[in-house]
Amino acid sequence: MTAEPGTAVCPNCGRAVGATDNFCEGCRTELAPAAVSGDGPVAATECPACHSAQISADGYCESCGHKLPAARDHIELDLGVLAGVTDKGLRHSRNEDAMALATAEQGGHPVALAVVCDGVSSSRRPDEASLAAVEAAVRVLLAGVREDADLLEASKAAVAAAQQALAGLNEPGPGDPPSATFVSAVLTHETATLCWLGDSRAYWLGSGPDAEAKRLTTDDSLAGEMVAAGLVSEDDAMTLPGAHVVTGWLGADASGTDPHVATFAPPGPGVLLLCSDGLWNYRPGAAELAELALPGALTDPLGTAAALTSFAIEAGGMDNITVVVAPYPPTAPAPEEKPAPASEEKPAPAPEERTADEH
Amino acid sequence: MSTDFTVEISQNEYLAEGASDVNAIVTVTAPDAGLAAPVDDQGSAEIIIIDCSGSMRSPRTKIEQARAATAAAIDVIKDGVAFAVIAGTNKAQPIFPLDYGLAIADDQTRFLAKQAVAGSLPRGGTAIGQWLRLAHSMFLSHPAALRHAILLTDGQNQHETPEQLGEAISLCEGVFSCDCRGVGTDWEVSELRRISSALLGTVDIVPDPSGLAADFASMMESAMGKQVADVSLRVWTPQHAEFRFLKQVAPTVEDLTSRRVQSGPQAGDYPTGAWGPGESRDYHLCVRVTPAGVGQEMLAARVSLVAATPSGPDVLGQGLVRAIWTDDEALSTRINGSVAHYTGQAELAQVIQEGLEARKRGDEDTATAKLGRAVALAEQSGNEGTAKLLAKVVDVVDAASGTVQLKKRVDDADEMALDTRSTKTVRTKK
Repeated sequence: MTAEPGTAVCPNCGRAVGATDNFCEGCRTELAPAAVSGDGPVAATECPACHSAQISADGYCESCGHKLPAARDHIELDLGVLAGVTDKGLRHSRNEDAMALATAEQGGHPVALAVVCDGVSSSRRPDEASLAAVEAAVRVLLAGVREDADLLEASKAAVAAAQQALAGLNEPGPGDPPSATFVSAVLTHETATLCWLGDSRAYWLGSGPDAEAKRLTTDDSLAGEMVAAGLVSEDDAMTLPGAHVVTGWLGADASGTDPHVATFAPPGPGVLLLCSDGLWNYRPGAAELAELALPGALTDPLGTAAALTSFAIEAGGMDNITVVVAPYPPTAPAPEEKPAPASEEKPAPAPEERTADEH
Repeated sequence: MSTDFTVEISQNEYLAEGASDVNAIVTVTAPDAGLAAPVDDQGSAEIIIIDCSGSMRSPRTKIEQARAATAAAIDVIKDGVAFAVIAGTNKAQPIFPLDYGLAIADDQTRFLAKQAVAGSLPRGGTAIGQWLRLAHSMFLSHPAALRHAILLTDGQNQHETPEQLGEAISLCEGVFSCDCRGVGTDWEVSELRRISSALLGTVDIVPDPSGLAADFASMMESAMGKQVADVSLRVWTPQHAEFRFLKQVAPTVEDLTSRRVQSGPQAGDYPTGAWGPGESRDYHLCVRVTPAGVGQEMLAARVSLVAATPSGPDVLGQGLVRAIWTDDEALSTRINGSVAHYTGQAELAQVIQEGLEARKRGDEDTATAKLGRAVALAEQSGNEGTAKLLAKVVDVVDAASGTVQLKKRVDDADEMALDTRSTKTVRTKK
């Protein structure tokens, strides 16, 4: 049985599968489900504050009352084609950032998908909001890629789905309705399709001599708007009180807020970086970020995401940090190769230089 | 219809760096329907204690109305409930039954009890401690789980010392609850409040004896509705935390802090008495903890509702009071509406009592300042009941700013009504 053009098929048995199916109904093969930085149990056996071994079922020390680390405090996701790390940082009590990563295939090329959301602290249940948003959005985005849909439209549909997920969390209470920032990216072998609201960012970090590094998104924030209006320089803007107040966001109360969309055609090899302000606060400039991330990011997305996260923590860790790294062109890791010897045999700079020469 | 007790916490869990006081309002609500097994009528006991001192004869209607009120209350006692009526003078003796035990309510015993009450004669003095001691021994003659008394007096506790009364109250604490009523204006508010507070009951003034029957019947109906006995709030706090206070703040202000019974190395129990279906009370808890670093979360208190059962304590509900240190001022400066409201209601009760005391001492400046503050607090919080009572004691010039003048002539009953009802609070809007 052959599949109709435009419908997804199981890579294992060729049977037609629903675009949002997680498993093939024929052979039960997992159809590249999205990976989400969700909650999970933590098997802590000792309180980090007082070293008591008496831990309550709800995760508090029975002696000194300290809350034990939660699963979401630090999560690493590695899909090979792309990877991400999210961390609570040093100054917040919980991680209100969330990310979802997925991979798909289009015309024989791997595609990388990522969504990063940063819960707005002054809103109700910001941690649940960001998680619900990335889960809902990645599902729609992944379905769009599998169905070969228009990626700009799929991105907007993903925002709409995330918005709806937040509305589902909305219960009366103090503070603003559940809200989060949003940035999504679909990176094919030809283009990056970006969609955002708020101040989580996407950067292009081109690799090789004279390669360009630039920010691909604009901030919906007071600082961002003042810079856009030419009132202050970018450096000065970030020192203003309220610089981080977001002026556009994904929220149960923000229906009708249109997300920004953009496509970007990478001129050569490089890395697409998605991050929350927990990282870019410490290195807002694209060139500086490129300096930190390259060349390792081309071949070791997880290691680079982890290194950038550590950098932000060491710089102060004032906010939750989320970093997603997707090398371009998207390349599936060779299934047979063992990762450790591979990285030793292939020094990272070699492929960059070769592709840079082609320009 | 809920079938379980609920424990809800209202607080701003965010603290500024270095802050150590964690405040929360704990709302406990009993299930609408009976919990596991509602206490059956065999399981409750009622004693009505009426003042039969000589002063009850003047005016003559006083003892007549007290008899009528007792009869009205007896009519409300359900079949099967163990009950008795005690006559209180400078000693105490049973009016019904006469064997120093309890009778089981049915048509015949209710009729006989009312006959006996009708024949009771006022003579002698007032020694309330003696009345409580007799009630205590009569309650203990029956295995009822829910024990409740109504105590009526018209005068001061003249025939024993405050220490003797205190000893009797201590004896009765935890054995039965007691609602106290003062008839007329010759009794002492602080004396009855001392009893009702320790015995987890209410206190009120019945200025006109003709109001007694309705009040007694309603108290007895409320007592008959109680289903769960011996419920305590168990509060766990972290090591090295300082327990600042636990106050009931609705429906009335009642400081429970000193009633702590240690129930574990880091936990104490605070008795709340018996609960009726759907009953809801609010408590203000304040714990001082050792501040942790910004970004850290600590459990400042775990509040459980615990019922004593033959097989051991049964946890009926639980809530968490948390502390999270943040450097985000938008979060740490957020005022919790419930905490602010009840802090004001507790202050309202306090300034009324202090203002009335100052007035009695003849310190008019303090009285004016305190009662003025009370008027402003009652106005702000929408406590109309208290505002009306205040307006009978002071002339309100401007309620919002608390500008008042003491009235030259105040009816004793109005002053005592303000004093006894000063602890009544209004709840926050949810």
